[in-house]
Amino acid sequence: MHLLLVWTLVVPLVTAAVGAVAGVRRFRETVIIGGLAVTFALCLAIAGVFLRGTIPAAFGDALRVDGLSALVLVLCGFIGLLSGVYGVGYLRRNEARGLITPRMRREFFGLIPAYVFALLLVSMSNNLGILWIAVELTTLASVFLVTFHDRDTSLEAAWKFLMLGSLGLAFALLGTVLLFASGQGQLGEGMAALHWTRLMQVAPELHAYTLRLGVVFALIGYGTKAGLAPMHTWKPDAYGEAPSPAGVLMAAGMMNAALYCVIRIHLISKASLGPEFSGSLLLTLGLLSVLVATPFIVIQWNLKRLLAYSSIEHVGIMAIGLGLGAEAAVFGAFLHMTYHTLAKPVSFFAAGTIAQLYGSSDFAKIGRGTFGRAPVASALFVLAAVMITGSPPFGMFFSELIILRAGFLGAHPTITAVFLAALVVLFCGFVYQVGRLVLGPPRDPAEVTASPEPFDLGMGTAIVAAVLAVVSAFYLPGPMMALIRAATHVVWSGGGA
Amino acid sequence: MTANVLILCAAGMLVSAYLMVGQKALFTAIRLYGVQSLLLAVIAATIAISQNRHDLFVTAALTVTLKTFLIPWFLMRVIDRIGIHREIEPFLNVPASLLVCLGLTVVGYRVSTGFPEGGQGVSHHLIGIALSMLLIGLFLMVTRKKAITQILALLTVENAVFVVAVGVTSGMPFIVELGISFDVILAVLVLGVLVQRIVGRFESMDVSRLSKLKG
Repeated sequence: MHLLLVWTLVVPLVTAAVGAVAGVRRFRETVIIGGLAVTFALCLAIAGVFLRGTIPAAFGDALRVDGLSALVLVLCGFIGLLSGVYGVGYLRRNEARGLITPRMRREFFGLIPAYVFALLLVSMSNNLGILWIAVELTTLASVFLVTFHDRDTSLEAAWKFLMLGSLGLAFALLGTVLLFASGQGQLGEGMAALHWTRLMQVAPELHAYTLRLGVVFALIGYGTKAGLAPMHTWKPDAYGEAPSPAGVLMAAGMMNAALYCVIRIHLISKASLGPEFSGSLLLTLGLLSVLVATPFIVIQWNLKRLLAYSSIEHVGIMAIGLGLGAEAAVFGAFLHMTYHTLAKPVSFFAAGTIAQLYGSSDFAKIGRGTFGRAPVASALFVLAAVMITGSPPFGMFFSELIILRAGFLGAHPTITAVFLAALVVLFCGFVYQVGRLVLGPPRDPAEVTASPEPFDLGMGTAIVAAVLAVVSAFYLPGPMMALIRAATHVVWSGGGA
Repeated sequence: MTANVLILCAAGMLVSAYLMVGQKALFTAIRLYGVQSLLLAVIAATIAISQNRHDLFVTAALTVTLKTFLIPWFLMRVIDRIGIHREIEPFLNVPASLLVCLGLTVVGYRVSTGFPEGGQGVSHHLIGIALSMLLIGLFLMVTRKKAITQILALLTVENAVFVVAVGVTSGMPFIVELGISFDVILAVLVLGVLVQRIVGRFESMDVSRLSKLKG
């Protein structure tokens, strides 16, 4: 029983409880930021314990942190802290304009840590049942974040998000039940029967047909939460309507956590049926995601939806990396996950600032020349765009290169060629959109002096996030690299132990 | 005897799903869901008796409390409050829908033959019916316009999953089942709140009006 794991879950829960209760504003802001900072520190401590050679576990192995868990845990903790700090700034800005009621503040401060709690529970769960419950909790925690601004469109987005998410989860539940059924009574009794490690132990004896059906349902179910095409349709709506701090939690946190579930299922399938079955499924879904995202980025009309489609592209890239069936590609996928988690917040924070300044994220309303209106936010957005389109010298260029190289050397050169072509078009589309938005004369020079770009907590967070993302491209700390390698090892060697 | 009860109840669940497809009054559809859940509870209780597995009694009790009483009561309250009682013309008319569902049942039964028990015995029927219900639920979800019907479709899918869980495997670990039930009730509450907000905003719970977000 490792108490660190328990604390890592208790701290965000307590933070959520305190945040949801009315109180002095300043006190609650301190609690949120402090609580999430402690949570992140605990995640790092868990990763530290893991890197020193013990595998922390609790509740009879129901929670267990191996290399894959440790990586996702650290990334989710990081995103939680970042979005918490930015969230406080975001709320202050909207408060200054009288857009925030006490109820909204309670919701926001309660739901953000609750969401982080659910994400962390996903990433340390070794039990397929708890995994499912935790993913459902993430969905429920984020619904009211999507409706936060209470517009017609945010209700629509929340409805689609919840219906599609619940359907995906029903599929994932059926998948879990079928995986359990494929054990035909060999899994034993009680909680331990649904442990991922237990399933890995008996993998060779699982009933093949039942398992196949289960894997398909579970991959589609969790793939829906990850936003893989063709189950991606909730994503642009939800990202477009959610406030940027929640958007970041969904785009980086939820995506990593959902991929974590996908990978666990993939590994069971790999151990029992060989790498081809779920590998080719991942490859297909991944390629489809990249291909679907491409045209929508080129014709996009809304800033936040642009980011959502970029996010669909990236989850596709990671799925391709995992599905190619080469160790280097798996490593590339985890490297990509890390860099994506670092770069995505910058784009959301910058886009959020621009959208708040203009009161909309519709391109038609923003017009052109945001650089004249909001130089810092626009510069950050351009920087983020350069990073998330995978341009050198930033991290995602290297991770994409590693995946592409492994693809061309491996068994799927044609798929890799299509993938590369899509990436090129995506790059051009994104650069075109950003150029159109940022360059040119500002819409109304008088506005610039009337309400200048804010320099507050939100902007500070965005700048810090940008610095971290840039530095990480040239220097990824040794322990971080070790975590990525450990995660790769779990995927590549099956990692039952 | 046990086998007959199980097959009878499962068949009853399938019939309730068909009736839901042919139904436009929302109250009746909700009651059908309640009956369907009651049958699910009977299945769980029957297995509990015949295989001497006491944890399944708790599952049965939970199912009756939550799905036969609590959720239908809550959904009816939502309907009462917003005062909309009938489904409007679906995207596909009822006779055609029923025909499609018939096809879906065949598909469900066909898929179920691959399981270890093969094409015979109780579990063949249970899986076949569960998969048909799953497909019918999906079909309802894409063809109906009222928010409440979509929730019922989702809950039907959920029930189908539980038929597999209870009838085919030797039962999921109890804590997991408890957590899942809790999550389902939470999801229904959240959905209910959303429906009320949608009606308050659009003065209709016709979800086909939710179509502003594109591209």
